[in-house]
Amino acid sequence: MKKVAIVAGSISRFDNPRHTLQEEMVAESVKAILDDVPNLDLGSFIKNDGAACYSYFSDILEQQQCMHWIIHDYLGLSAVPAYRVESGGATPIDAVINAALWIRSGKFKMVLVSGWEKMNELHIQKINEAIAIAGDTDWDFVSGFTYNAFYATLEARRMHVFGDTEEDLAEVAVLNHNNALDNPYSQWLARHGSSKISVEDVYKSRLISYPYRLLECAMTSEGASSLLLADEETARKLTDTPIWITGVGFGTDTMRPGDRPDNPAWKGLFPEEENTWPDNIPRPMSPYPDLVNFGSFKVAARMAYKDAGIKDPRREIDFVEIFDPYAGVVIAGLEDMDFCKRGEGKTMIREGVIEPHGELPCQLSGALTAQGHAVGATSIAQVVDVYWQLSQQIGKKWGAPGRQLSNPKRGLIQGHGGTGCQAGVTILEV
Amino acid sequence: MPKQPEPEKIVKEVEYDKKWWDEWVRKGGWRPEGYKIIELEDGPSLNELTPQKFMIAHRPHANMFHHSYGKVSKFFEGLLEGRLLGTKCPKCGLTYCPPRAHCFNPKCRLQETEWIELPKRGTVHSYTIMAIAWPALAHMQPLVGAMVRIEGTNTCLPMLMKDIDPEKVNIDLKVNIHIAEKPKGDLLDVYGTPAEEPRGPKRTEEELKRFRADMELTREWVRRKFGSK
Repeated sequence: MKKVAIVAGSISRFDNPRHTLQEEMVAESVKAILDDVPNLDLGSFIKNDGAACYSYFSDILEQQQCMHWIIHDYLGLSAVPAYRVESGGATPIDAVINAALWIRSGKFKMVLVSGWEKMNELHIQKINEAIAIAGDTDWDFVSGFTYNAFYATLEARRMHVFGDTEEDLAEVAVLNHNNALDNPYSQWLARHGSSKISVEDVYKSRLISYPYRLLECAMTSEGASSLLLADEETARKLTDTPIWITGVGFGTDTMRPGDRPDNPAWKGLFPEEENTWPDNIPRPMSPYPDLVNFGSFKVAARMAYKDAGIKDPRREIDFVEIFDPYAGVVIAGLEDMDFCKRGEGKTMIREGVIEPHGELPCQLSGALTAQGHAVGATSIAQVVDVYWQLSQQIGKKWGAPGRQLSNPKRGLIQGHGGTGCQAGVTILEV
Repeated sequence: MPKQPEPEKIVKEVEYDKKWWDEWVRKGGWRPEGYKIIELEDGPSLNELTPQKFMIAHRPHANMFHHSYGKVSKFFEGLLEGRLLGTKCPKCGLTYCPPRAHCFNPKCRLQETEWIELPKRGTVHSYTIMAIAWPALAHMQPLVGAMVRIEGTNTCLPMLMKDIDPEKVNIDLKVNIHIAEKPKGDLLDVYGTPAEEPRGPKRTEEELKRFRADMELTREWVRRKFGSK
């Protein structure tokens, strides 16, 4: 099995609106990679076993199918093997995983991964609709629930079963937004400026769907991001500081969250998680994940840990980027990815473990609620953020050397789509 | 000898207004209805902004889907008759609403399910209060949405709740399920009402105060937008 290196990574910033076309934003991000890697010749891809893997979520947001064909020739890559990966919000993480597996298999020596989204063309209600129809349009979407509403029911149940509080959610939102204030690719910084926010500011933001408020929900963004992956031999020719993708994993759960409580496919799969079900709450047939946790995250994370030889993720991983369209996903995600026991995610928030100077810094980029959520670019950008930290480039790329972690060795990026219908995890190492 | 299927026969039809569609599809045909030219700073990072000019065309696009409910059409036919139907696996007994034509228990090897009539009773598995709902429902904000486990089923059906104070809705609340008097043939025909005194979740005094202020702001917006309610 070939080792997989990240040779370079870049972001064309997240904002809304940007009014710049998808191909132009992608070109900006690929141009940044070409600047970073002077020996890279896109014209030699076809002869040197190069390929491209593209990531965008929606054909509906601009009513354009096969957008990646436009992108591909715009970059001058005609004839180069390529295809698009699509799986809702998990699209960009799955594109990275797909590209890594291509290289591991020996099929390709280098792969350009580019992702993008434009989310400003439609009226906001139609944007919400375009996102919501990633839910079941016969049985979920038409019940009157927006996507916000479905995630809100998941968190309301967590509050009932494991005692997450409104303050825990607000604290996650504060962490994300304040983390983004040095990030020149962040939509929050572009829109809001660089003043810090507090829990009170989160409470003052409008209610969207109880318990979620505006600042606890992802933004809709436009932007692009790219990564150049390569096998070891190729990577050594292109860079002196490769960062390695040592673990990848992906998992799934039901399309409809309502189908999760009594699902025979989950029953008995993670008995230790089922045992944490509180005695005073009626016990569903499959207590893990129910609507309380994200089983797909666990399957993805355990697969990636096995891949990377990680036994104790809390100790062996230095920092984490979680795909958090809603604040509660961070709390549940920490549990599902074995950073704490089930039900104890809130304790990690309360004890400051995930703060920038905590034991396990999370969401250093600002993540989806503050860096932004240009869906097809989101997780690729989070991988880039982790790559820049591991390769000591935050000072150069952000112009904020104070935000460079001291000597980080290993980072984890998690992504997912739907209501946790699909998830992916990648582990990066120096 | 393989047989050619008989041509489709219409058993019952509620037609949509073709005139309305004809007008809509002509208007929704991509030709710009207007445009604007704007100046905006842009660049790959906030450290690299330069002035730019963009033209934005207002380009309409219309759709009408002729959507089949497939082999679970019977559920929606049931709604038209005021009945709540689900499916049950004859092998393992798993009971579905939303119905599935095939059992998803891996042991049952995609066994075909059987139709059963369900009681119009259930329990709230989880809930939310929507301060922002779909445009067609905005006049009803704040809207209580509940994932309801219908009695005897192994699933939850999302539905809106009526006749309940948003502050009082709680997990495990027993609910009655109703079907609209004039059903249109989708899930919005189904709604719940409390079947017992709702208790509400535990909230601190501060949380309750904030919740009530949120509800008041939401209602105030509805009054402003749609008049008194």
